[in-house]
Amino acid sequence: MTDARTPEDNASSLAAGPPPVALDGSGRPWPVFAHGSEAEMARILDFYAVAWDYEPRTFPILWNLEGEVVESFSPDFYLPELGLYLEMTTLKQRLVRKKNRKLRRLREIYPDIRIKLFYARDFRAMMLKYGRLALADSLSGTLGQVVPERLEAIIEAPVLAAVADPEPRPASRGARRHRPNLAGAGDPSPGKEAFVER
Amino acid sequence: MRTSTDLEADIGEVLLEEGQIQARIRELGAQISADYAGRQLTLVSVLKGSLPFMADLMRAITLPLRIDLMEVSSYGGATTESSGLVRILKDLSASIEGEEVLICEDIIDTGLTLNYLVRYLGGKKPASLRICTLLDKPARRLVEIPVDYTGFVIPDQFVVGYGLDYGELYRNLRFVGVLRPEVYTSPE
Repeated sequence: MTDARTPEDNASSLAAGPPPVALDGSGRPWPVFAHGSEAEMARILDFYAVAWDYEPRTFPILWNLEGEVVESFSPDFYLPELGLYLEMTTLKQRLVRKKNRKLRRLREIYPDIRIKLFYARDFRAMMLKYGRLALADSLSGTLGQVVPERLEAIIEAPVLAAVADPEPRPASRGARRHRPNLAGAGDPSPGKEAFVER
Repeated sequence: MRTSTDLEADIGEVLLEEGQIQARIRELGAQISADYAGRQLTLVSVLKGSLPFMADLMRAITLPLRIDLMEVSSYGGATTESSGLVRILKDLSASIEGEEVLICEDIIDTGLTLNYLVRYLGGKKPASLRICTLLDKPARRLVEIPVDYTGFVIPDQFVVGYGLDYGELYRNLRFVGVLRPEVYTSPE
C-alpha cells in the first residue's frame, strides 16, 4: 500500500529509506503505517510469532533512457523466516489494477522474489475469521488511510527518523523487524481479549 | 433460543454432505493406516473445530494410536499496537518425544496457526510430525506449510459445520456449508 515514492526517492538503490518509527504505549518502536490494515496485519503477525520487516526494500521496476528509476515498488512487509514479501491492498479496484500491473512487472524483473498481494477480500475474510469484520470495514479504502491511534502516537511520541536515531535498529537494511518470542504461553496485555481458535 | 433448523436456514449452500465427508475420512484413515503400518501413532487435535474430524478419523485408522488435544488462542485484534502472543490454552497431556505425531486440523487457510503449532510441537522432538486437514482453503494461504493428508480443497468461502463455527454456533451441523453473508453482515 506504499508504492507512491517518487523517482527521486528511489534513486538506483534497492534499499529503501527506513519508514518513520514512533513508539507505542509500552515504549516499543512501532512503524508509522500508511494504512490501518497494515497495522492490523502487523499485530496479527506478531500474535502468531511471525517475524516481519515493514517496507524494508524498494524495487525499481521502470527506468528512463538515462537509466534513472521512474517507477518502483515497495512491498509493505517482508517475512524473513518465510522469504515472502506481502503487499496489502484494500483500495478501490482502479488502484488495485495499477498495483497488479506493478506486481507483474516486479515478477518479470525479479523472478526469484516471492510476493503475495493481499487483497481487500483477503483482509476481510481474515477479519471475519477473527470476529473483526466491523474493523475490516472501517479500515477499507480511504477510511483506513489514517489510523487514529497512530496519529495520536505520532503526536505524542517522538518520531524517530532513521538518520536521527542513535540507537541501533534490530532490523536488517535499516527497517523495522519484529521477531516475537515463540513462547508456549504468550502473555497478552491485560484487558486484551483472547479469542479461542475455531 | 435458536434451533438446529434455524441454524440450517443460515446456510446458503451445502458444500460437503455428511456422506461425502464420512467417505473421504474412511479413505484418509486407510491411507494413514497404510503409511504408518507397524508404528504407533499419536493424533493431536486442535480444539475446538477439529474435534468431530478427529473423532471420526481415529475410528477410520486401524493402528494402535493415542490421542491428545490442544487449544490455542486465536487472534481477536485489539485497538492498540500490541495484542500479545498466541497462547496455549490447553497443552498436550503427555510427552510426544520420539512419537509419530499427526496433527488433525479442521481447516487450513492462512496457515498462521498451523505454522505456530508446527514450530511449537516440533520443539517437543517427535520422531515425525505430519499434518492432516479435513479442509484446505489454499486461496487464503499466507504461510506455505506442506500438508500430508487433505480431505477436501474448498473454494474461498466462509464455511461452517462439522466442527467449524461462526460465533461458536453451527459446529454441530453434520455437513459443511457456506454461511449466508447476511448472517455476518447484518447489524447485531
